[in-house]
Amino acid sequence: MTPTRSLLAVVITIAAATLLFWFVLHQISGVWLDVALRPEVRAALEQSREDQKALRQLDPARRAEYRKRFDETQKLINRIEVLRMNRQAMLRRFELALMIVFALAATAAAILLWTRYRRAQERERREYLERVTSLQETARRHAHEIKGPLTAARLELERYADLVTADASADERARAQESVSEELERLARYTREFSSFAGIGKPVLRRESLGQMIEEFCTTFANAWAGMELNDSGGDAVVCVDRDMFRQVLVNLCSNSARAGAASMRFMIVRNGPVVLLDARDNGSGIPDSLRARVFDPYVTTRRIGEGMGLGLSISRKVMLDHGGDLVLASTSSSGTTFRVVFGAATCA
Amino acid sequence: MVRRAGALALSLLFATMARAQQPQLAFSVQPGGVVAAALPVSILQDATVRKQLRSGLTTTFLIVARQRDTRAVTGARIEVRYDLWDEVWIAQKVELNRRGERQRLTSLDALEKWWRTPVRLLSTKASRVTVQVDLSVLPFSAAEEEDAREWISKSGGVGTEGGSGGLVDALIGTTLSAKPLTSYRWNVELALQ
Repeated sequence: MTPTRSLLAVVITIAAATLLFWFVLHQISGVWLDVALRPEVRAALEQSREDQKALRQLDPARRAEYRKRFDETQKLINRIEVLRMNRQAMLRRFELALMIVFALAATAAAILLWTRYRRAQERERREYLERVTSLQETARRHAHEIKGPLTAARLELERYADLVTADASADERARAQESVSEELERLARYTREFSSFAGIGKPVLRRESLGQMIEEFCTTFANAWAGMELNDSGGDAVVCVDRDMFRQVLVNLCSNSARAGAASMRFMIVRNGPVVLLDARDNGSGIPDSLRARVFDPYVTTRRIGEGMGLGLSISRKVMLDHGGDLVLASTSSSGTTFRVVFGAATCA
Repeated sequence: MVRRAGALALSLLFATMARAQQPQLAFSVQPGGVVAAALPVSILQDATVRKQLRSGLTTTFLIVARQRDTRAVTGARIEVRYDLWDEVWIAQKVELNRRGERQRLTSLDALEKWWRTPVRLLSTKASRVTVQVDLSVLPFSAAEEEDAREWISKSGGVGTEGGSGGLVDALIGTTLSAKPLTSYRWNVELALQ
């Protein structure tokens, strides 16, 4: 929280507390204390009292009635007199009570603001450290991905030079050449991965049967991930989707599940009012607690360096957001993970 | 010490901290070692007290006697109210071990005469006793205070229903009290012969 916002919050809090004090003061003393003590009120009551006394002379038959009224009036005068004698003490007490309330409110506000400030500071520091750590990890991955093929290519080139000097056979030179080409291709694949992340295009939405797409996907990719079975729970809904991009999302989800040791991946279409959801549930080992909050961030992965950059979920979510929907982590535990694909209300041709 | 039945001569040896204008108490000893004090009429004639006496409220004269030696604390209370309907003085004394009958006094003179009657303050078997006597003139009685407290808390507009009445009641309950209009103190050493 910036100092300006903190100051604004303090001002608003104090203003609210002051308003509350004014309200209480108005309720307690403003309504009856001063009104009851107005001299004309007392004068009117005294006159009424004297009138009752005078009436008993004029109408002795109703003396008891006048006496009763007299006593009631006198009692009221007495009460007002007691109030008048305690007016200052009561006002002082009320003001003290209000000041205590004010002090408590101000103290609570200050403590709250200070706590929030300290928490914000702590969170900012923690996030900064996490960002730096993440960047360090990313740098290590980049270095490894580039250094591996480069080193291999350099060694192969040196070997090729030796082969040329030694007048080696054409086959041996060709193998060395091929090896260099393979390493360079690794570098090219690596750069393509980045290109795909940087160049996620706009989806071309068409009305598609989600049930049919899932069915086709499960058939086509039935053997794509060794040891993992794809299951279609049935159901159908028409959604606006870019077929190719959506298939890439499914591929990414399945790839992650396979790496997490899942033996099955089940797709389930769920309707929630006008919203269509697709739950992708695996029985893998789940996502570690430390990664759950950042699972859609780029370069966040459980894989070792050299085994991937951790861009799959990031790309997938970007794709679904571009669809007007979303991709969320619905649940995860040691017995499996469920990602939920949300289809938005985007219109299409 | 030999006590005689009936009134004994009593001498006031000295009074400490007595102001020049301070009215003096006239002590007497009654049977059973009861020390009584006749209050000076000048207390009733004090302008503030006189005004309060005619207010219709019960002016309460609270007398507290503290024996220095035994630390015993006793007291008495005199209540005076002017009945504006009948235009009479209603007066009553609540003394040591005795509650006097309520008097209806038709004039101020009668009230002053009644006022001079000694008030039983303490009982002692000692031949000499040092006493501090405090007299506070309170503007209203405890019953009137309670009545006003109840009335204020009910007519405050916030104390009738709901939770805010608790706050008002608490504030009134701890604030409303009869502050003395005036007070007197006597420190006397009495020798009972």
